[in-house]
Amino acid sequence: MSQFMLLLYDDPSGWEKLSPEEMQKALEKYMAWRKKAVDSHRLTQDAGKVIRVQGGKPRVSDGPYSETKEILGGYYTIEAANYDEAVQKALTHPHVEYGLAVEVRQVYGT
Amino acid sequence: MGITAEPGVILEHLFRHQAGRMTAHLTRLLGPAWLNVAEEAVQEAMLRALQTWPHQGVPENPAGWLFRVAHNSAIDTVRRSKIFGDKTDAMVAELSRSATAAPHDPELEEQLRDDELRMIFMCCHPRIGHESSVALSLKTVGGFNVREIARAFLADDATIAQRLVRAKRLIRDQGLTLEMPHGDELHQRLDAVSEVIYFMFNEGYAALEGESLIRQDLCMEALRLGRLIASSSIATPSIHALVALMAVQAARFPARTDDAGDIILLDSQDRSRWDQKLIALGFHHFDRSMSGDEVSEYHVQAAIAATHARAAGPGSRDWPAILDLYDQLIAIKDSPVIALNRAVAVSKVHGPAEALAAIESLDANHSLRHYHLLLAVRGQFLLELGRGSAAADCYRAALECRCSEPERRFLQRKLKECEGDKAYD
Repeated sequence: MSQFMLLLYDDPSGWEKLSPEEMQKALEKYMAWRKKAVDSHRLTQDAGKVIRVQGGKPRVSDGPYSETKEILGGYYTIEAANYDEAVQKALTHPHVEYGLAVEVRQVYGT
Repeated sequence: MGITAEPGVILEHLFRHQAGRMTAHLTRLLGPAWLNVAEEAVQEAMLRALQTWPHQGVPENPAGWLFRVAHNSAIDTVRRSKIFGDKTDAMVAELSRSATAAPHDPELEEQLRDDELRMIFMCCHPRIGHESSVALSLKTVGGFNVREIARAFLADDATIAQRLVRAKRLIRDQGLTLEMPHGDELHQRLDAVSEVIYFMFNEGYAALEGESLIRQDLCMEALRLGRLIASSSIATPSIHALVALMAVQAARFPARTDDAGDIILLDSQDRSRWDQKLIALGFHHFDRSMSGDEVSEYHVQAAIAATHARAAGPGSRDWPAILDLYDQLIAIKDSPVIALNRAVAVSKVHGPAEALAAIESLDANHSLRHYHLLLAVRGQFLLELGRGSAAADCYRAALECRCSEPERRFLQRKLKECEGDKAYD
């Protein structure tokens, strides 16, 4: 069994349309999925900071790293035999159901 | 408020119910002109919960957590937007005080119920039209969103959204408050509120499939609001009758459709599947509705529902009493649905021929020609009279009308029944 990171990207506008009832249903799905993961972490709501080295000098600017509206919202560690299996599992994540992006990466040496 | 490591179970509809209570509460603190701010703060709290609870676990007191976060969000908005001008600090202080209320304080519970009552009474202010009152009540106190309300009433999102915008503007422009009316005004408002609640209930009750999950929620919400009023100091016999009526009807939900989602008529329903707690609740409020002289539409409807519920079995339904009650009801309120239901009672007491005569005036009503229930009931009477092919015509016409899938299947079954009876006609 290898370990894989699931990187969850947020797009706040996706959630705004949900009703209280729908948010609760989403919450229950997230919590159920959480039980299947090795661990999970939520990142804070801000865009964070990015350090880039330009002209040999590190420069700190406001994040996020990419230009898109999507901010990395959190990450999970799951176990899977290979990428195919990891992707299959990731496809069942409610994040996908709600139209949001998930990046899947294998942890080296696992 | 501690946080448990293990995700706990969240009560059904917690978010929706708390959304209603918190919106009402914050609106009272901020003032009805700032209803939008209250709604946004509540939405923000639930969003936060959605983002953090999966990782941190469900807090020990989920409602308390939401309450506190919603208040903090409102405080941020008040500070940032400066909508209260030089009264900003005072408002922030009031919101902060409210935010730190002890989670299980019975006084807080009392306050929240009171806030909800005031909110729904404001939503039913006469200057806000009936349709907008319904939408606004469902949005604010009910915790439903625009799409859910639109689906429940088979309207489109834009229409409902517009109604809400206009209603909130009216509240702001006319300076409507959350003060409870008194005397005659209270009496009239109570009537308006009853109408809105009953309307919600009927819309929910009419649904059988598809959107029925929303619409069953609508029913239960109507019942909840009715009970809220019934347990307050402004309860009247009429309100108790309304609650009795809704409770007894809602009790039959589990028995109304079978496992395939097909309709089971009242006479064939498995009474053991009725929700006994709701039946008991219905009878409890029915008794309380008997104090005083008032005989409202709800009283008669409740009496009908109670008579149906008391029948020991399908054969022992007291149809003469029911017909009598329908006669009383139609004198108070004449409507096609009531007339149809009365006609069914007529058929049970006097036979299908008289029942057909009873609905003649409905048949003549041009605007009802696409009303599938009228056609189906007519078909039923014709079938009982052995007039199979005339009955079949009715069922075929009924199938051309708009109806739900279970209704469609029911009509098709009846049509087959008519075709089986062809020998008679």
